[in-house]
Amino acid sequence: MARSVRTILIGLAFALVLAACDAGDTVDPDEATDPVDDVDGEPDEDDTDDDVDEDEVADDGEDVAGLSIGFAAEPASLDFSTDDGAAIPEALLVNVYEPLVKIDQEGEIVPVLAESYEVSDDNTVYDFYLEEGVTFSNGDPFDADAVAFSIERVQQDWTIGLASQMDIVEDVEVVDDLHARVTLAEPSNNWLFSMTTRIGAMFSPDGVDGLDEQAIGTGPYLVDDFARGDRIDLVRNDDYWGEAPDFNDVTLRYFGDPNALNNAMLADDIDLIGTVQAPEGLSQFEDDDRFEVIEGTSEGQVVLSFNHDREVFEDQRVRQAIRQAIDRESVMETSWGGYGELIGSMVPPTDPWYEDLTDVHPYDPEAAEALLEEAGAGDLELDFRVPNLPYAVNAAQTVQSQLAAVGIDAEIDLLEFPAVWLDEVFTEGDYDMSVINHVEPRDIAQYGNPDFYWAYDNPEVQDLLEEADRGDEETFAENYREVARIISEDAASDWLFLAPNLMVANERVGGVPENNVGEMFDLTVLERT
Amino acid sequence: MSTPQPLSGPSGQVPIPGEDVSSGATMSRRSLPASLLVGAGLVVVIAVVALVSFLWTPHDPLLVQGAQRLQGPSGEFWFGTDRFGRDVFSRLMYGARTTLLVGVVAVGIAGLIGTPLGVLMGSSPRVIGEAVMRFNDLLLAFPALLLAVMFGAVYGSSTLTAMVAIGIATIPVFARVARSGTLQVLSSDYALAARSAGRTKLAIAVRHVLPNISGLVIVQASVSFAIAVLAEAALSFLGFGTQPPTPSWGRMLQEAQELVAVRPSQAVAPGLAIALAVLGFNLLGDGLRDRLDPRLDDRRGTG
Repeated sequence: MARSVRTILIGLAFALVLAACDAGDTVDPDEATDPVDDVDGEPDEDDTDDDVDEDEVADDGEDVAGLSIGFAAEPASLDFSTDDGAAIPEALLVNVYEPLVKIDQEGEIVPVLAESYEVSDDNTVYDFYLEEGVTFSNGDPFDADAVAFSIERVQQDWTIGLASQMDIVEDVEVVDDLHARVTLAEPSNNWLFSMTTRIGAMFSPDGVDGLDEQAIGTGPYLVDDFARGDRIDLVRNDDYWGEAPDFNDVTLRYFGDPNALNNAMLADDIDLIGTVQAPEGLSQFEDDDRFEVIEGTSEGQVVLSFNHDREVFEDQRVRQAIRQAIDRESVMETSWGGYGELIGSMVPPTDPWYEDLTDVHPYDPEAAEALLEEAGAGDLELDFRVPNLPYAVNAAQTVQSQLAAVGIDAEIDLLEFPAVWLDEVFTEGDYDMSVINHVEPRDIAQYGNPDFYWAYDNPEVQDLLEEADRGDEETFAENYREVARIISEDAASDWLFLAPNLMVANERVGGVPENNVGEMFDLTVLERT
Repeated sequence: MSTPQPLSGPSGQVPIPGEDVSSGATMSRRSLPASLLVGAGLVVVIAVVALVSFLWTPHDPLLVQGAQRLQGPSGEFWFGTDRFGRDVFSRLMYGARTTLLVGVVAVGIAGLIGTPLGVLMGSSPRVIGEAVMRFNDLLLAFPALLLAVMFGAVYGSSTLTAMVAIGIATIPVFARVARSGTLQVLSSDYALAARSAGRTKLAIAVRHVLPNISGLVIVQASVSFAIAVLAEAALSFLGFGTQPPTPSWGRMLQEAQELVAVRPSQAVAPGLAIALAVLGFNLLGDGLRDRLDPRLDDRRGTG
């Protein structure tokens, strides 16, 4: 009998081990998020629009200058010129590296290092008048030479995909120390906007060595320490040319596991969750006076992408049938706990050309079945290759079940993200259907790029997008609105929902921007309360 | 290993007092250990549940119903529903299939390859046997989970890769057990007699060694089964095992992880199922060890 007792003890020990596992402190490779290029593991956080929720909590008089912010996706290095991933500009852009112009919380382009700028009537010549007395953190002055250096460096040395947006620049002329003139090869509405992203960051000609470990910019913060996979310590730049930010030092901490991130917040290890990855756990914060849950919108469209290179998707009726078979409301419920917003196309409501297209191809399983029958696609089998990110896996299971209801067999194949998914789906295009959150601003333009992984090749859309880029602002908005409608009616993809921008702040931090409309997590707008 | 007296099995347990050496088999039939009964009971329950799930589950374990998500236990949904509105009880039933399948395949691979290998090495010249077994010890030190994660990375994550990886990683265990049993049998009088009577090594292995080490192997199999169940749960928890939407207890635990603060019962149900399955197989192994003490088999062979 003694042996049985021992065995029972062993059994209990196993049970305890398992209990420890679901307590959520195990690092789970499944949840690892390392967003790359314009696809992203998580709905990004940050910057904003409209009114900003203020923490209404009283100052407890404690003078703690430090701030600790938790994120899910860790940066691979500090060098966003050669390493993809949204986490690097999120941490460094505006905070350490400043661009000439940035997107403000209303989504407008506003000057940063450029005191002002002028655009020629034909949209090809941009005159930037620079702020005076700005220096890089290595002591070098910021002048027009640095502007020319930075722009040319994007064209020559940057290896990430986004760098191609700088190809349109024909010439950068140094008119005088504080006046740089950029000439574009052809008119472009997108170029100035792209200058608000990481490619617009200004570098010192003497400060580009060992960029993966150090960052020399003009921004309000300096990188004090970078512990890969763990944290970035930022300290206030005492020589900053502009208004000093509220917090002396800011630590950006990276958590591989969404529950660990929530737990760190509960345990007061961090003051702010930059991106809530486990929305089901939000009720813990909602019920607690110490915390404020901030819900805004992001620019992350969770897209059910169809591979248009595959024969099955040649027929518009099949694509439409899939759209009509999916109850997006319930996908949002199961994938993001009901947070988020339904969208009918690749445009977030924060874009000026947004139009409510949620009524195009509404949920109607019977219509979907009829369409499939009409198209002769009765026994459709799809290779549904999904990145192993929590929201994607959850969305995929709901989609799979709903497609099964109309007779489509979508077999889920989980791929490790980022490496395997990026390689096999994003680069090789070896898939029928996939799910990913596309966070890059204005990424509707990818429907005009037949080489993109969904291989959508529609000359009408391509012409409209090209015309938009060359035309005036009105044409731009008009054409984008039209493209959004065309791809929605053509069922180029299914847009499951717009990822929410969920953050949790404690009483020490205020001014947290509601919406996420740029590439950066702007630390300068945060306030001490 | 050819210990004459007193009797002591591999578990180091002293046999039941008053045991008659010549009637060992009868003896153990008379006294079924409690661990065996409890273990076998648990295993049978799990097996029955798995079989029933082929014919009937209270709800469709795969059907997503957004309107019914995250319900607590009720008359309709005995263990509640998960974040997809799927019935947790039905998924547990279906998950029992995955669990048993993984155990059977992994232990099958390990036993069918490891046992003959162990017997062969036990019958081989000592130098070769020792050399191969030292290499075997190296493999024994390689963690099964790590191998399974590697397999998942190379061949893609699925229940099959997890099963095969766990099976391969368990081969050295069976080889070790089989070899030590073989050495023991080969040094016994009847084996020596068979050899001097001109029997070939193969004949001795089949006729004397295998029947006499079968007890050892069966005990090892049930223990390994428990380990395989746990490994599959761990792998699925980590995303390297069973792929969604197929229910697996480990995967259910993982999906419940986020909900621990909201619906703890979601994690308790699969966690308990895993714990009970592991406990069941461990107890079964333990009980079998009582019944199939190789010492007793030894006598049977001799007698």
